[in-house]
Amino acid sequence: MKRRTFCIGCLIIAISPALPAISAEPIRATLYKSPQCTCCEGYAAYLRSNGFEVEVKPTNDLNQISERAGVPAKYQGCHTMFVDGYVVDGHVPVEVVRKLLSERPPVAGVTLPGMPTGSPGMSGKKTKAFVIYAVTKDGKEPTVYTRV
Amino acid sequence: MSAIANAATSRRSFLLGAAGVLATGRLPKASAQSSKTAREFTLTAAKGRTPLVRAQPETDVWCYDGIVPGPLIRARQGETIRIIVENRLGEDTTVHWHGIRLPLAMDGVPSISQPPIAPGQRFTYEFTPPDAGTFWYHPHADSLQQLGRGLAGAFIVEEPEPVAVDREVVWMLTDWRLTTEAQIASGFGNGMDAAMSGRVGNTVTLNGIVSDEEPVGAGERIRLRLINSSLARIMALRFQGHRPLIVAIDGQPCDPHEPDGGRVLLGPAMRIDVVLDMHGEPGRRYKVIDDFYDGLAYWLTELAYDDKPPLRAHILDPPLTLPRNPVPDPDLTTAQMHELRLQGGMMGGGGMAGMGGMSNAVWAINGRSMTGDGHAEMTPLLALTLGRSYVLTLRNDTAWWHPIHLHGHSFRVLSRNGRAVPSRQWADTVLVPPKQAVEVAFVADNPGDWMLHCHVTDHQVSGMMAVLRIA
Repeated sequence: MKRRTFCIGCLIIAISPALPAISAEPIRATLYKSPQCTCCEGYAAYLRSNGFEVEVKPTNDLNQISERAGVPAKYQGCHTMFVDGYVVDGHVPVEVVRKLLSERPPVAGVTLPGMPTGSPGMSGKKTKAFVIYAVTKDGKEPTVYTRV
Repeated sequence: MSAIANAATSRRSFLLGAAGVLATGRLPKASAQSSKTAREFTLTAAKGRTPLVRAQPETDVWCYDGIVPGPLIRARQGETIRIIVENRLGEDTTVHWHGIRLPLAMDGVPSISQPPIAPGQRFTYEFTPPDAGTFWYHPHADSLQQLGRGLAGAFIVEEPEPVAVDREVVWMLTDWRLTTEAQIASGFGNGMDAAMSGRVGNTVTLNGIVSDEEPVGAGERIRLRLINSSLARIMALRFQGHRPLIVAIDGQPCDPHEPDGGRVLLGPAMRIDVVLDMHGEPGRRYKVIDDFYDGLAYWLTELAYDDKPPLRAHILDPPLTLPRNPVPDPDLTTAQMHELRLQGGMMGGGGMAGMGGMSNAVWAINGRSMTGDGHAEMTPLLALTLGRSYVLTLRNDTAWWHPIHLHGHSFRVLSRNGRAVPSRQWADTVLVPPKQAVEVAFVADNPGDWMLHCHVTDHQVSGMMAVLRIA
């Protein structure tokens, strides 16, 4: 059992180095979420049904984990995932994750801010296009990566 | 300004058999001066530095009298006390004497109770605590930052007759969100915290420092006063190898009972007094574990037994029952009923926008959102008749836990989801789990505009707050 959760931020660095994706094997991802948020489990299940291998880790340090990964507070989703060297924040559709991993742009990752209704893992109907932003670690304002 | 109580030397100075208590604990006490009419304390709110985590740099905090937690205030039941608060912060503040039934003007809600205390100014609080018990004090202005940066202290009101325990211990438990450099992380009030579980941190201190052990002696009976002064962290404490007996909740005595599953559930702002009979073995250590959040259990401290033989051969019997406080019993046959629906937040389903919209209001009570720390323009959600009994049903429509606090009163906790709550429990802050309903009852015997709000501070300041007018 952990002594306390202090310093969890240090762990992220150790586990996030990029592992080369091998097409025949499932893509491995680690998803950090609030221990009391249930929609994040829905997102993990969605990824699993799309062939990902997702390890879900509860944490109360989501805000710091996201910021450390390059996602500014107002662009954050409700969970933060690390996959193949990238951060994927929020309910990002799987095709966008695949696009990111195949194009491999020089960014820290992508985010779908907030919890839009109708996004993967969320209930409700999609009412408008999801705007997914690319984030970097140099403090620059995120840019639009894609709309789906 | 604070007298340091020397706990180390006095901790085994128990009183066998005889009724008596020795107040120890390591909390420095506020110094008091007697005057003609009231005992007087001073508290100064200012910035400071304190070692929260051993072997880490000191943490920049905001605190009372330079220490975290603030000085322990001890008063006697029915004794008038005067507390002069000086504000040396860079912003307005007030002090709320959480759980103490007192006149509205002394309640510390800015604009409603008093003008806020401006930087450099003083305000004198004076009141007579009618109830003995475990209370605490904290600002009610810019609450997220002021409480989250360390402004809080314990306030103990002693029974007129000492209670028969060997020793009394106060554990002020505080959650902090620290950076790896042990500094308070920025990001107070971010949208994600506001709409979810609030600013739950990553480091829990016991009386101001991460605790490795708390010394105990075999055979002794301890009254342990637990205070959760966290912004948002809910705790569920298990005492390995021990059977804590709850004897008071939020300062109000209850029938002594063991908590469900042996876990003492302590939401933000709640206090629970437990009696711990130390029937562990001399020289052994027993962990105190907080396992409230799934997958995030940690140990808070260890009960470290000294090597001395047990103080007594048999556990004391019967369990300790505390004398009742003069809280009026609500008349349930004539009580008027009101339902308060707690709404909003992430996964709230309809109503509130949840995330996305960057409006201040994320939460609501009965469709209305009062944000911030209290302000004069707020029209009351309910108008109650002075002297009448009321039953409030707190119905949590959200996906999150809410400790709901009513100012100026203690209430009887009647039922949870329609099932009667045993053990004659009273509270001023009741934890309402997601999708559940709690019924509380009280006599509206204290005139004024009283705050009712969630004590997950992020939830309070983003809409889960209301005013009950009693006249």
